[in-house]
Amino acid sequence: MRGRPRADLGTRLRRVLVMVPWLLEEGGSTVADVARRFDMSEDEVWRDLTLLMCCGLPPYGGGDLIDVIVDDDGTIEALPGPFFERPMRLTSVEGFAVLAAGRALQGVAADAGAGAAGAALASALEKLETALGASGTLAVDLEAPRFLAEVRAAAEAGERVRVAYYSAWRDELSERVVEPLTVHSREGRWYVEAVDVTSRGEPRRLRVDRIRSLERTGERFERPASPPAPPEQLFSPGALGVEVVLVLPPSARWVVEAFDVEEAEELEGGRLRVRLVTAGERWLERLLLRAGPQAIVESPAELRGVGAGAAGRVLARYR
Amino acid sequence: MEDRFERVTNLVTFLLSRAQGATFAEILEELPGYPEGEDARRRAFERDKRVLRDEGVPLVEDDGRYRIPPEEYYLPDLDLTEEEQVALRLAVAAVPVGGEPAGLALHKLTLGSAGSLGLEESVPVVAALDERPVLPVLFDAAQQRALVRFRYGEGGEVREVEPSLLFFRDGNWYVSGHDRARGAPRNFRVDRIDGDVTVFEAGGFERRTLTTEQAMPRQPWLLGEAEPEIAVVEVDAVLAAKAVSDAGARATVESRADGSVVITMPVTNRDAFRSWVLGMLDHATVVGDDALRAYVVDWLRSFG
Repeated sequence: MRGRPRADLGTRLRRVLVMVPWLLEEGGSTVADVARRFDMSEDEVWRDLTLLMCCGLPPYGGGDLIDVIVDDDGTIEALPGPFFERPMRLTSVEGFAVLAAGRALQGVAADAGAGAAGAALASALEKLETALGASGTLAVDLEAPRFLAEVRAAAEAGERVRVAYYSAWRDELSERVVEPLTVHSREGRWYVEAVDVTSRGEPRRLRVDRIRSLERTGERFERPASPPAPPEQLFSPGALGVEVVLVLPPSARWVVEAFDVEEAEELEGGRLRVRLVTAGERWLERLLLRAGPQAIVESPAELRGVGAGAAGRVLARYR
Repeated sequence: MEDRFERVTNLVTFLLSRAQGATFAEILEELPGYPEGEDARRRAFERDKRVLRDEGVPLVEDDGRYRIPPEEYYLPDLDLTEEEQVALRLAVAAVPVGGEPAGLALHKLTLGSAGSLGLEESVPVVAALDERPVLPVLFDAAQQRALVRFRYGEGGEVREVEPSLLFFRDGNWYVSGHDRARGAPRNFRVDRIDGDVTVFEAGGFERRTLTTEQAMPRQPWLLGEAEPEIAVVEVDAVLAAKAVSDAGARATVESRADGSVVITMPVTNRDAFRSWVLGMLDHATVVGDDALRAYVVDWLRSFG
């Protein structure tokens, strides 16, 4: 068994305050079962329950103790007593975790929401929110991308798929055949680690919501013995992007709120000088066209004409 | 360590069972395990209080008496049906958010549904949300209607906010609420909050009921009171699907053989509309209505 760090006092108390009501409800259990349910080692269960047998109310005589008895063979007996017959209220961390998970599942399973399972989840979350006094304070706005199920199925079956994929970086749609290996989600977005057959078998990461069409090919591929693990970090702008310094007019101060700005300096007249790392030239074009002609690229010099160039290209469509 | 575990457990059972509460002196008299010496005892008791509060035990201190009111301590019966309990277990398995806290919460909520262990192992993970320690703090503050203060963004400017809603969208968590200094509602990206969040007293403001759509509309060009103008936008195939999804339910769409689309949509905020169209660079053109088209064209010409 994997070694685990020794639980601190808070963790032990937290577990015990859940474990005792559960044992009382069940009437008993075994050390092995408790260890499994509460993600503890059996030694920890022994230690904590043995100590608990001596806890209760002063003067700590027979009827005043928590009535949980652990036998030598690991059998646990529990009898109702004057306290802990119900668990403690959820802490904010616990309430947040369950509500966020439930709300997220409602979002991605919106299609299934009409079914009995969706209705049960909805009513469970409503009861939970009411009990927490949290009605309407937490929302998760998630949608499953259109081709998620297909990508997953292909990865599991080891089947090549032909996709039309939009690259925001290059601002182009390309058709390629890929071998999907690992499907993972990070911060609410779905990605697939794949082998790009069209590009001589290069590894490629696709964002599932940028797949515009998907066709099964019926061609099988050999799944690697160990498919690539989801990466630690998805995108490091420093490695790909270019650092720019912009001077923004007061009307474009929203840029600081909307993007990860490395540095911002107040200038006269409400203007701002900001330093940020762009995710490519197309990305900078989008920002500049929205910020307006008073937004100026100070450096690097070769990007100074980017805004006007993009405006000219878009204008050409209007002629 | 073992002494302390027994001591804090006994402190919980003792204070929970005494409706009238107990003073520090009474606690020392009744509970074994506190060290000798006034200072050492006081320090040990302060540490125990901190552990209880950190673990969410509602320890009330009132005029020198300490209590754990049972009605605040015990989870009220939520009266969850078997189906509702299963639904919550599936949700936590499908969207792993909290790790251990989520597991303990389930144990609290689904006491007695002994048969369901193992159910989760067959559930595929359907989403992962960004997790940050400050999220439950903000969630709690919104519930409690407690003002929060934090440093925000690049400049580390201090903001005081009355939080109404915590929401997740497009990969980010936001807290939405009334910004006291600006006297206006604002959204704050939680990952831009710098350092800890200070939470003030509960009940400090009236909470507005907000939906995510009100806090951050998906169609900002529909914000504003102006008489709606009708925009017609041509979008190339490459961005057609995204544009249609952005445009939302109030738009009508005509698809063409080459994959491009013509979207007809109401607009009440011209700036937001222009921003959206220009975000598609040279893949979108405003056609139709002369005024809106001119508005975008004039803007582009001003780049000179």
